[in-house]
Amino acid sequence: MNSLIFVSIFYIILSIILLYRVLKGPNVVDRVVAADSIDLLTVVALVLFSVYSKRGIYLDIALTLAILGFIGTLLISKYLEGKL
Amino acid sequence: MKPTKFSSIISTFIFCYLLWILFTWTFTTQELLAGAVVSLLVATLVSRFFIHENAFHLFNPAKFINLILYVFVFLKELWKANVDVAKRALNPNLPVNPGIVKVPVNLESEYGMAMLANSITLTPGTITMEIVEENGKNYYYIHWIDVAETNREKAGEAIKGTLENWIRRIWK
Amino acid sequence: MIYVAYIFMIIGCFFAFAGTVGVLRMPDSYCRMQSSTNIATLGTLGALLGGFLFALTLKNTSMAIKILFIAIFIIITNPVAGHAICKAAYKSGVKADNLTCDDYGRDFPNE
Repeated sequence: MNSLIFVSIFYIILSIILLYRVLKGPNVVDRVVAADSIDLLTVVALVLFSVYSKRGIYLDIALTLAILGFIGTLLISKYLEGKL
Repeated sequence: MKPTKFSSIISTFIFCYLLWILFTWTFTTQELLAGAVVSLLVATLVSRFFIHENAFHLFNPAKFINLILYVFVFLKELWKANVDVAKRALNPNLPVNPGIVKVPVNLESEYGMAMLANSITLTPGTITMEIVEENGKNYYYIHWIDVAETNREKAGEAIKGTLENWIRRIWK
Repeated sequence: MIYVAYIFMIIGCFFAFAGTVGVLRMPDSYCRMQSSTNIATLGTLGALLGGFLFALTLKNTSMAIKILFIAIFIIITNPVAGHAICKAAYKSGVKADNLTCDDYGRDFPNE
């Protein structure tokens, strides 16, 4: 059972490492890609924590986070393309 | 067969209601009734964006079994491509050789083309950039991390593999 | 069953780690995008399948089905964002260094 919490801590550490690319990335596209990856890693960590604590409410938060990350990436790319 | 308004609404309604039942997973009467009302509302509003071709195409059992089998074929391809890109990223010399190639595609249905493009993007190492139509034939522009072939036909063989033949069994 | 879940989670951890290293190390924006696909597919799918099996062993079916839905949702929506961001990068003028061949730039030279 503890392995779930170790795996989710590992994912959170990976997303903190990815923050380096968000801060430094030479252009906007790099930042958007890294932020999208951070979003997905956070979704996975939330799902694993929800299984660990046996409370279904975190799963709804994870699903909402996945939807919002997708919409955000799509919106920024449309803006960069000049069609917004 | 062109989709009528009624058949596309029914098809979208069945899809939404199935999703609702699987997602809530409670079988009391008021939950089921609320789901039916919400699904009908959503189906009348969005069916014209959701259905472009024959509305009951996937309700054919042979096509549906092919779709299930396609998932396993795709997972095998996904595993191979993932191992390849992970090896490239962890290699100290960083052996990348990127390029954008133009690849022909031999599918007719819109759903089939979209599904092939999404499958190509989802395998690491290749990203579809755009679909264009020239003289009745469709082409993909694909960013490829390791260009082994610049010839169009051979590059298409290397990228698409067996996926295209499987998709042709599902969507013409 | 629980050992299968552990194996899936270890696979997920390994591919997420490889994707992160790729995002940090790759030379240009397009190659970083390829590496981030590595996180989005097997990195999340492995850990989510592990969580799915774990929830099944706890006899919690509704939670397991919701986890499966999150996995399917990520698999469906991620390539759409991939196309959009790749095309936007090309059109907003992000340079890719040492391309072997560039058919898109040859066919649409003014974009």
